[in-house]
Amino acid sequence: MGIDVGSLTTKAVVLGDDGIISYSITESGDEAEQSAIAAMEEALRSAGLGVDDDTYVVTTGAGGKSVSFSRQHKSVNTCLARGIFQLFPEVRTVIDMGAESSGVLKLNARGRLSDWESQDKCASGTGIFLQQMSKLMRMSLEEMSELSFQAKARAEVSNTCAVFAESEVISHVHRQPPTPPADLVAGIYASMVSRVMVMCKRIGIEREVAVVGGVALNKGLINIVEQELGFKVMVPEVPQMVAALGAAIIAGENVAKESAV
Amino acid sequence: MTAEKRRENSVDAIIKACRLMTRMNQATPGARQSDVLYYRMLEGYYRRLLQAHDDGKLIAAHTDFFPVEVVYAMDIVPMHTEVTTWMMTLFTGDNEEILSASAELGLAPEICTPHRGLAGAFVTGAVPHPDIMLWSNLVCDNTAKSGELIMDVTGSDGFFLDHPFKRSDEEVKYLVEGLGDMVSFLEQRSGTEMDWGRLSEIVERMNRQIELIREINELRKAVPTPFSPLGFMQLLTVDYLCPGQPEAIEYLEALRGELDESVKAGRGTVSRERFRLMSFFLPPMHMLGFLDRIAEEFGAVSVTEPFFTFWGEGRLDPRKPLESVAQKSYMIPEMRMFGPLDERAIDSIVDCAGQYRIDGAVFWANVGCRHTCATIKLFKDVLEDIDVPMLTVDCDVVDPTVASEEEVRDKLEQFFELLGDR
Repeated sequence: MGIDVGSLTTKAVVLGDDGIISYSITESGDEAEQSAIAAMEEALRSAGLGVDDDTYVVTTGAGGKSVSFSRQHKSVNTCLARGIFQLFPEVRTVIDMGAESSGVLKLNARGRLSDWESQDKCASGTGIFLQQMSKLMRMSLEEMSELSFQAKARAEVSNTCAVFAESEVISHVHRQPPTPPADLVAGIYASMVSRVMVMCKRIGIEREVAVVGGVALNKGLINIVEQELGFKVMVPEVPQMVAALGAAIIAGENVAKESAV
Repeated sequence: MTAEKRRENSVDAIIKACRLMTRMNQATPGARQSDVLYYRMLEGYYRRLLQAHDDGKLIAAHTDFFPVEVVYAMDIVPMHTEVTTWMMTLFTGDNEEILSASAELGLAPEICTPHRGLAGAFVTGAVPHPDIMLWSNLVCDNTAKSGELIMDVTGSDGFFLDHPFKRSDEEVKYLVEGLGDMVSFLEQRSGTEMDWGRLSEIVERMNRQIELIREINELRKAVPTPFSPLGFMQLLTVDYLCPGQPEAIEYLEALRGELDESVKAGRGTVSRERFRLMSFFLPPMHMLGFLDRIAEEFGAVSVTEPFFTFWGEGRLDPRKPLESVAQKSYMIPEMRMFGPLDERAIDSIVDCAGQYRIDGAVFWANVGCRHTCATIKLFKDVLEDIDVPMLTVDCDVVDPTVASEEEVRDKLEQFFELLGDR
């Protein structure tokens, strides 16, 4: 089993011989240990399995190191690389847009991480920033996404600072005439994407490209990513679960190695 | 602007820490004699600084890569400004007070911390005031400006040595003339004449010093490598503080002998060497102990530092001491990175990667050092072409607030996972 203890949600994946048996996504609490237990129990319940002390668990994510029953902790990027390679073996570049950080990964032909760039110093370009914008726009994330497809232009929103971006959005709303909401949402997405594109340029884009993390659920934002890249990207069905899947793959490999010994 | 009277315990703290390290190494079975000599050398350096005025000697503060051989030859006590800030960080672990004092002086946080830290140290009286400030444009604009600031803060006299950016006969001649002017300035200020015979002896010993470092570099090619994970920090400190001094030679000879023995015995410095690393620039001083533990835990050792431990070709001529001091300034390892970066410098990265069989590189990106950070992409691309991954760690050599141990550990762990997965 693989568990990704993220800052907003905890994801668990149960892997069997034929692939994913079940998975769970639960809200992260204050304690990483409790979050991991909750996610694990739910995933096992979905699989019709009981909690077993012998379950081989590999953890990842911000809180992964604090989980006492974890047999091994692996970095998120290593797990993302393994997870995405399982889903889309042709992918060589992964854009990860999580709740509190964003990054770009490069994979080699064996699906191993070969380089990465990340930023975790600023909320700009992350899921929390998007949530903040959704509150400001007084619409759900889904509504924002749908609306963005009606944009005629992209409003100018700062891509350098989440705080300044918020002020800019407020001024767009209150100016006369106000910036059309669809253009404003497209501008917000573009500001997030431009942040990620800087990392893409630094690391070099190699096709195919996948986008993972909770932010990838947002179709409007993916549309802007594709416009910027100039080609279609691949998005897993459950994009926030890829790191947990990678952790589960590593757990499976470890079990196989131990059995062989 | 004048500074307050010197506080009692900052240089004392460095001396005490060095003495403690010396004793610990003496008491530890299997510890290297070279480590004992290294800490004795540091202790001696700072003791001379502390006692200089009592001994009737002048103190000359000087910036990085300043030709301090001249200062030694005139029996003036040197104080390396940047290294002293490092040492305060390394041995006291806390630079908040001096960095705050520098902020009060109006120095922006983006300025190189060793420079602004030392300005703060003078203001708070954490280090003795120099009588003379010697500085040059080696190696950056921060350095060129730092001298004026320290003169302003401490009220000392000063001499600026204009070091030509490039190297041609004309430029070397200009530099030698500048050095001559500096000697005149120091003679006038100290009231004593330059001891040219002594300078020649220092230059001769400098030849030996460079030779020993080259031999040490050869020994470090061994697998497993015999030298400690961040041992290169000692090599550069020796040259920064005690170029051509007997204690530097004594330390390097002992080290060379120990490394030779280790290589012959096939003994590595970490229990299990897994990752051989190339290092660029300097890790945070306050993290050296932590990074040593990480190195042992992951079996990761810096085996080569193309721009910190590789001396340029050539041999100094003790018969022409001043010309040799000028020549040395073009041979220092850092000059190839900080000076005009040419194809040979880039080639040396590729060359070192092969010769030292490196698995990966770590660039310690000190946020206050703009011109080293400008090379990150260039070096990364060069290494990528030969399939060597490079990790960039944003940090600061002196300021602990820029990156926490946890952040650095996460990045290194991730990088070692990447290397292990290849």
